[in-house]
Amino acid sequence: MKSKTFDTKKFLMNNVLYVIMIVIIITIAFISKGRFLSMRVMRDILNQSSVRVLVALGCMFVILSGQADLSGGRMVGLAAVVSGTLAQQQTYAIKFWPGLPELPVIVPVLVSILLGVAVGLCNGWIVAKLRVPAFLATLGVQMILFGANSLYINKAPNNSQPLGGILQSFKNLGSGNVAGINYIIIIAVVSAVLVHILLTKITMGKQIYAVGGNPEAAKVSGINVFKITLITYAIAGAFYGLAGCLECARTGSATSNYGLSYELDAIASCIVGGCSAGGGVGGVPGVFLGVVIFNVINYGLTFIGLSSYWQYVVKGLIIIAAIAIDVRKYDRKS
Amino acid sequence: MKKLVAFFLTLTLLVSLSMAGYAAKPSVGVLWYSFSDTFIATARQCLLNIAKADGTFDLQDADSMGDVPTQTNNLNNMLTQGRDYIVINNINDNDVDNVIQSIVDNGCKVVMANCSAASDETYAANEGKVFLVTSQATQSGTIMGEKLAEYWLANPDADRNGNGKLDYIMLLGFQTHYDTIVRNEYSIAALKEAGIEVNNIGGDIVCDYQRAQAQDKVAALLANYSDDIDAIIACNDDMALGAIEALKAGGFFGDGTYIPVCGVDATAAGQEAVADGTMLVTALNNPIKLSQGIYKVLKLMEAGEEVTTESVDIEGVHVDGAKVWISYIGITKDNLEEAAYDVNTTDF
Repeated sequence: MKSKTFDTKKFLMNNVLYVIMIVIIITIAFISKGRFLSMRVMRDILNQSSVRVLVALGCMFVILSGQADLSGGRMVGLAAVVSGTLAQQQTYAIKFWPGLPELPVIVPVLVSILLGVAVGLCNGWIVAKLRVPAFLATLGVQMILFGANSLYINKAPNNSQPLGGILQSFKNLGSGNVAGINYIIIIAVVSAVLVHILLTKITMGKQIYAVGGNPEAAKVSGINVFKITLITYAIAGAFYGLAGCLECARTGSATSNYGLSYELDAIASCIVGGCSAGGGVGGVPGVFLGVVIFNVINYGLTFIGLSSYWQYVVKGLIIIAAIAIDVRKYDRKS
Repeated sequence: MKKLVAFFLTLTLLVSLSMAGYAAKPSVGVLWYSFSDTFIATARQCLLNIAKADGTFDLQDADSMGDVPTQTNNLNNMLTQGRDYIVINNINDNDVDNVIQSIVDNGCKVVMANCSAASDETYAANEGKVFLVTSQATQSGTIMGEKLAEYWLANPDADRNGNGKLDYIMLLGFQTHYDTIVRNEYSIAALKEAGIEVNNIGGDIVCDYQRAQAQDKVAALLANYSDDIDAIIACNDDMALGAIEALKAGGFFGDGTYIPVCGVDATAAGQEAVADGTMLVTALNNPIKLSQGIYKVLKLMEAGEEVTTESVDIEGVHVDGAKVWISYIGITKDNLEEAAYDVNTTDF
C-alpha cells in the first residue's frame, strides 16, 4: 500500500507556504540568536500585516471572480487622505476644513468605506457594462484616484503638506489595543473570518467562485454575472477604504503618496497564497498567510539589519518559487 | 487615406492657430520632478501664484512623475511648442550637460531648479542663457549632523549602551536620489568632524521618503536593537515622523526616555514634532524662496538685466556666477518661528 506511506515530496508541495515561512523564521531566528522568537516581534508583524491583509482580502474578491484590480493602492491613499482631513484637531494651525467640528471616529471610517464602495462600483460598472478589460479599466481608475487625491490635498491651507494634527481618538484606532492585542489586528482577523464565512457558507460566495471559474457556465446556470462583478468590486473598494483609513490612523498622517503599489503586494500575496490568477480558485487562509509571509520577510530582514535591497531580491525569489511549486501541484493532480 | 489627409490638415490648422496664440506673451515651460512630492507641490503652487499675479509670462508646468523618460517627453513637447524659457527640475543626473545644451540649441533660455549643477563649461558656453537656482543640498545633511553632535556632546548619557560610539539608524529616500546621497554623507561627515565616533545600525534602510515604511522598519530595528540605538537620522520629515511613531509605540518619549530624531523639510507636521520635543532638528529648504528665485531670474533674463545677489534681492539667497544658491536653515525648538512661510504669497 504505497499510498499510505508518508510522501515527503507531496507533503512539501501541498504545504509549500508553511514550509517557506518556517524556513525563513528559523533562519532569521538563528541569525539573531533567538531574539526573533518573541511576543513583541509576533505582535509587530501582525500589526504591520493588518492593513495589508485588508487590502489583500478586497483584492481577493476581484481575483476570485476572474478579474483584476489595480486601483487598490491609490484607493488606500485617497481614503487615508480623506479620513485624515476629517479627523484633525480643532487647534491644528492648517486644519484642512477649518469650519468643521471634531467628528466622532466613526465618521471618517464610514466615509472612507463608502468612498471605497463608490469607487468599486465604478470599477465594476466600467468592467461589466462598458466591457473595458479589467486590467486597463482599473489602471485608468488608479490614475484618476491619484490625480483626484493630489488635487484634494493641494487645497489651501494645506497645500500638499502631509496631514498633521490628527485626533488622538482617531490615532488610537491604529495604535490602541485591548489586552495587548492591537485594534487593527482584531479588525483584520475579524474581517478575514467574515470573508471566509461569506465565501464558503453563503450562496453569493459560491456564485463568485462560479463566475471566476467559468463565466459562461455561470451565466447559463442563472447567475447574474453583472451583479456579481459589481458586488466583488464594491466589496474590494470597501476593504481598500477601510485599509486607507486605518493606515492614516496607524501612522498619524497621510499624503497623496500613501498606498503606493499596495495593490501589487496584495496581488502577489493572493497568488502566492494560492489564488489562481484566472479566477475561481483560492481562499482566505492562503491569502492571509501570503500577506504574513511578505511581512515576515520585510520585518525579519530589517530586524537582522540586512540592506533593504536584499528584501526585494528575497521577495521576488519567493514569489517565483511559491508559484512554480504551486503550478506543479496542479499538474500532478490532472 | 482621405481620412488621414483630412486629419493631418486639421491638425496643422489647429497647431498653427495655437502657435499664434502663444506669440502674445513670452512663454515658460516648467518641468517638475514630481507633483506628489510635498516640497515640489508647494514650490509649484507658489510659482503659479506668482506668475498669475505678475502676468509677465504665459507659464505652464508638467509632471515628470519621478521618471526620466517622462521628463524627456514633456521637455520635447515644450520645445515643440516653441517656449521661450524652460525651467527644469532635472532628474536626468547622468546627462545634465546634454539635456541643458539641447534646450539652449532649441533657442530657449534655461533655469535649472532645485537639482544638481551642470558642468562649468556648460555655464561658460551659454553665459546669460543658463542659470541654476537651488538650495545647497549638502547643507541639509550638515545641519542634521551638527545639531546631533551638539546634543551628543552636551548629554553624556546619550550613549545608551556606553560603547563610546554614536549608534545611528539612517533612513534613506530613494537610492539614487541626490538629496538622499548628500544627506546621508554630509550628516555623518559633520558628526565625524565634531570628533564623534559613529556606528551604523541596520545598513541601507530605504523607505522611499514614506512615513509608513519608516515606521515599520524602525519598529523592526527597535525590537532587536532597542538598547543600542542612540539616534535616528532621516532624509526627510515624513520618515522622521514615522520613526517617532515607532519609538512611541516602543515606549520612548513617554517616560523620559529619549532618542534624538533628525529630519529635513520642516513640514507643518515636522514643525509640530519639533515643538513638542520629539524631533531634535529639521532642516528647512524654503520652497517659497525657490519659486521666488526662479521667477526673479526669469524676470531679469526677460528684462536683459544681470543676475547678481543684489538684483535677485531675496534674503538668504546669494548668486555665484550662473548659480543662485538658497540657504537651508536648521529649525529647532529655539527658532521655530523662522520656519513659517506663506505659500499664497505673490511677492518675489
